[in-house]
Amino acid sequence: MSVAAGGGESKIDKTKLTMYGVGGGILGMYLAHVLNMLTGTGYFSFLAGLGAIAAVVMGADAVRRVCAYGIGTGVPSIGMMAMGMGLVAAMFGLAIAGVAGPIIGVAIAMGFGYLMGILANKVIKMNIPVMEEVLMSLGAAGAIVILSLSVVISGEINYLDMLNDVVFTGYIAIVFIAGALAILQPFNANLGPDETQDRTLVLAISTGALGMFAAGIGSLITVGVGGGVLTMLIAAAIWLKAFLWFFKLVKRDSAGVVGTGLLPEGGL
Amino acid sequence: MDMVSMGLLAAMGALATIAGTSEDLESDVGSQSNPNSQVQLAAQVGHTHRIYNKAISGEPPSNALYAALAAVTASVLMSDVYGMNAFFSIAVGALVAAVFNGILSMTSYMGRNASQARFDQYIYLDVLRSHTTTIMAHAYITAFCVVAISYIMTAPWLPIQHPFPLPVIAFIWGLALGAIGSSTGDVHYGAERQFQQYPFGAGLNAANSGDIVTKGEAGLRSSIDNAWFCAKFGGPVTGLAFGLIVFLDNWRTTVFDPATQGWYAVLIGILIVILLNIGNRLLEIRAKKMYGPYPEYAGEIKA
Repeated sequence: MSVAAGGGESKIDKTKLTMYGVGGGILGMYLAHVLNMLTGTGYFSFLAGLGAIAAVVMGADAVRRVCAYGIGTGVPSIGMMAMGMGLVAAMFGLAIAGVAGPIIGVAIAMGFGYLMGILANKVIKMNIPVMEEVLMSLGAAGAIVILSLSVVISGEINYLDMLNDVVFTGYIAIVFIAGALAILQPFNANLGPDETQDRTLVLAISTGALGMFAAGIGSLITVGVGGGVLTMLIAAAIWLKAFLWFFKLVKRDSAGVVGTGLLPEGGL
Repeated sequence: MDMVSMGLLAAMGALATIAGTSEDLESDVGSQSNPNSQVQLAAQVGHTHRIYNKAISGEPPSNALYAALAAVTASVLMSDVYGMNAFFSIAVGALVAAVFNGILSMTSYMGRNASQARFDQYIYLDVLRSHTTTIMAHAYITAFCVVAISYIMTAPWLPIQHPFPLPVIAFIWGLALGAIGSSTGDVHYGAERQFQQYPFGAGLNAANSGDIVTKGEAGLRSSIDNAWFCAKFGGPVTGLAFGLIVFLDNWRTTVFDPATQGWYAVLIGILIVILLNIGNRLLEIRAKKMYGPYPEYAGEIKA
């Protein structure tokens, strides 16, 4: 692996992360949908937000794996690409399949990812061995994050409701960009030769919670004050926990965390 | 064209100028975007530093996030459900965006420097405390101005009434602003301030990568020193560029009604682009004549 871009070894297996990401993301969305429908309230929207965090962790690990090949400045671009694939596939899935839309959407996003991986490797000849597999994970992560954050805002999986609550109100802008930054920021912020997987993934939990918080602000209108505030409170609690955990890992990994001081000995 | 439209146009231009300036200075305090790679390289080539390393993403996506977030918060607060005054709604929205900016900046600074442990790059908490608040203050001004421009374009009681919702307009302006800040203002910081020990206009030789100035006029250089330097030229120029874009672009559709005189607006747009190109070319020729070829360069060396 390229030292310049960084990326140490992976302690947590990618298959496990993909399983938890896709499973947790889809489960969260449907649980939020079903519980909101059964109780007739919007209090369970936060479950979709938790699913989004799971998908963000999976996406951040995928970014980490592909960017270890030296795609330094391409980190933000690859996050945007994930969200682009996810958005198109998610909307298509919802439009044709109704309640089953998210599953179809995620499957199509993975297909998109695989196709783009083949294009990158065979046509553009990037020859990065993990490209197809990583873009598949990224497409899935993008689709799940877009769908989950949209469900946080709309409260249920319904194409027309989602169009009215998420797209026509303009909240899709924040769903898109907060989701993209949630996926790309963890590796981008930790890029360097001494990057470690656990620190990156803990930061992914924190940025995922920020995305959930942003979607929670939008849901204050569409889902109602109770559901919206609950989502925001849970997101803030998760963020705080993850941020403190991240700070602990920073202290563990860095050359030194000092209150103030001059440059260390040996610096020029 | 009426007086109200012209007044709004002037207000949008002024807001855009302020937004451009504060956006560039915000990115300079944090060394975001293109100057960032040099800050990142510095420790690796042996120059540990006390410069803020805020690698959130390119400026366009991060500013799109702040603008969209501020606009979403503002549109929620000023909706019929909550009924807050537009001015205060935008202020609260900009505050939320500034807090998000602060969080992303802090995690970038800590994460990037922790990943350079083998080069003895420390994490200085006093840098974090003093600089993050400076960054947030600038981000607040930027987000406020961008959402205010978007609000003027979409408010139902004002004449423009753009069909897109407020968050999407703010998102697009945020992207545009980030792109302007990245292309216009960053040159002043990245090419001049970071490489002050090399002759003016020398360009960046690949061998000098990472050899940035880490010592200040007194003591070690901090990123707030960089904002002070860039506030003299890079920031205002970015503001001027963004202000002109917002002003000229809206001016042609204010003077000519897009519904009935759309083609005039298009023609005026093309004319403005041609005029700007001629102006740029004249400026380039004048600069080349005035400063001449680089002094050490005495033609191609024969083999």
